Amino acid sequence: MSTTASDDFGQDVFVDGADWEVVEDAVGESTITVNMGPQHPSTHGVLRLVLELEGEIVRNVKPVIGYLHTGIEKNAEYRTWVQGTTFVTRMDYLSPFYNEVAYCLAVEKLLDIEAPERAQAIRVILMEFNRIASHLVWLATGGMELGAIGMMIYGFREREHILDLFESQTGLRMNHAWIRPGGLANDVTEDFVERCEHLLRLIPEKMREYEDLLLDNPIWRGRLTDVGVLTADDAVRMGVTGPLLRAAGVPYDLRKAQPYCGYEQYEFDVQTQDAGDSFARFLVRLEEMRQSMRIIRQALDLLPGGPVMVADKRIAWPAQQSLGPDGLGNDPEYIRHIMGESMEALINHFKLVTQGFTVPAGQVYVPVESPRGELGYAVTSNGTNKPYRIHVRDPSFVNLQATNLMSKDRMVSDLIAVVASIDPVMGGVDR
Amino acid sequence: MSGISVGHDPLTHERIEQLVQARFPDVAADITFGELTLFASAEDLIDLLRFCRDDDELACEALADVGGVHFPAGEHVIERQTSTTGWPAHRVSRDIGVVEVNYVLRSLSRNHWFRVACATSDDGGTLPTVTGLWPGANFPEREIFDMFGVVFEGHPDMTRILMPDDWLGHPLRKDYPLGGVDTNYKHGKFIPPPHQRDLREVIGDTPAATRHLPLLPGDADSETGGDQ
Repeated sequence: MSTTASDDFGQDVFVDGADWEVVEDAVGESTITVNMGPQHPSTHGVLRLVLELEGEIVRNVKPVIGYLHTGIEKNAEYRTWVQGTTFVTRMDYLSPFYNEVAYCLAVEKLLDIEAPERAQAIRVILMEFNRIASHLVWLATGGMELGAIGMMIYGFREREHILDLFESQTGLRMNHAWIRPGGLANDVTEDFVERCEHLLRLIPEKMREYEDLLLDNPIWRGRLTDVGVLTADDAVRMGVTGPLLRAAGVPYDLRKAQPYCGYEQYEFDVQTQDAGDSFARFLVRLEEMRQSMRIIRQALDLLPGGPVMVADKRIAWPAQQSLGPDGLGNDPEYIRHIMGESMEALINHFKLVTQGFTVPAGQVYVPVESPRGELGYAVTSNGTNKPYRIHVRDPSFVNLQATNLMSKDRMVSDLIAVVASIDPVMGGVDR
Repeated sequence: MSGISVGHDPLTHERIEQLVQARFPDVAADITFGELTLFASAEDLIDLLRFCRDDDELACEALADVGGVHFPAGEHVIERQTSTTGWPAHRVSRDIGVVEVNYVLRSLSRNHWFRVACATSDDGGTLPTVTGLWPGANFPEREIFDMFGVVFEGHPDMTRILMPDDWLGHPLRKDYPLGGVDTNYKHGKFIPPPHQRDLREVIGDTPAATRHLPLLPGDADSETGGDQ
């Protein structure tokens, strides 16, 4: 049995680290071991980095994770398929729509159904706005960590406008659980297109401000250029995806490679840079926001009419209702139908809401291109009304492994830039 | 600049199956939901994955995902609501419980992907590590060890990753209960885990009447007369 593989990558590529170090080990010959995090303003939540320092030089970094572990994968096994959306949306909390869409695409693949065109287009629009919002948070927090405090205020300010759009459509700023297996929870409001147009006018204007602020800023450039270089080969070997991979010169984007939700209809460019450093990642993300707006523009122009939920009443959660002034979903027509006309419809409604639908047995893997890279849902069903197992391949979780490779033998301050440029979201890392 | 190119020339599932089976005749293949799964034994695993990575035609440069699923031993009857869904009931029986580890291999240069599944016993099972082929398998393998108890031999650091170091049990196994850890709530309240609440389950051989139904928080209040 060939258990050991012989390829020699050197020790740098491996990260290790248990929760506790023995105290005697903390001081070495010339190095000291220092804890950075889990509570630290520049670790994006509760990431803990155990650093081996020689003076100001980082000799080794061990990311220690699990401080935000919430057992979502386990919990979802005890809920119905529709309730699953409520859970998965809370994983990577900066890109909730991607979690929902990937999960719903996986369930739809198992069910062998496809959401209506209108639902797909709205998913794309919201996902791309979500990408902009997520990159804005990255710009904001990354800027703050590197000393551009003003950027934090601006990034969050514009993000709030996007979250206003989400709130107006889904009722929630984040963790929407609005995308459901088979389509959407309800149709968009009448002013949806107008609100999107407003954002499409607002964001490019503000993006010029960010560029004025950062692009030629010598401090910003100095902190990022040649910091955290990751070559394409290393990135692929480490499983790194998303802007990090594209900044290393690999034009791989799942929206192009394996289109879903109708991405093949939209024209956009996959952004790449050759340098593979933190500044290249900044440029890639900045340009990705522009491409997102291009996609939204086309999706708005093409926005088809029709239903937003599949017609099959065995699966379709009532999606005709609209949000009333009382904050609840109302549909007098539907209520009249189930309460006054059809006993069968009432039974179906009752069973759908209490038991949910069952999903044929099998296993699927559905990846989508989230703002951080490949977000994959490996969903296993055993043919009941609850998922048998949901495994999530979260891009932050995998990308974090490259921290040591990128920050070894650099200054501590460079480590901050490296972690910022990975853009890990701990809700996704720990799940 | 690098040896990584991105193209679009995917192999068909049949061709991938053919290429792999020419080299590894014991590997079974299955195409369901348009996804190809190759079932490898633990002995073949490393050689198979190395072949998929290094073969010019398969060219799977990236290991996209490693995930685990636990299938415990015993008999499970899956009853579906045939009247409403039309899907029939079936029976699953396993002599030995397994943890199935799925490796998702992706070719960037050709733009295809497929799954290699490798099962190991859920009672002290081991698998060879693939960190020697893809260092990026490090965290995912640690997660599977943490969550299912599968030990990856040769892994540089086989420790728990998400749960604390001193945690007992492997939470994502099917024999690990949800809500299995006591939690101190205010006023000594007991919040039952979801599977002990009175949910109307489609499946399950326990009649609802005999299922343990603890008091819900509201009931506890009325019992102590706190509501008056």
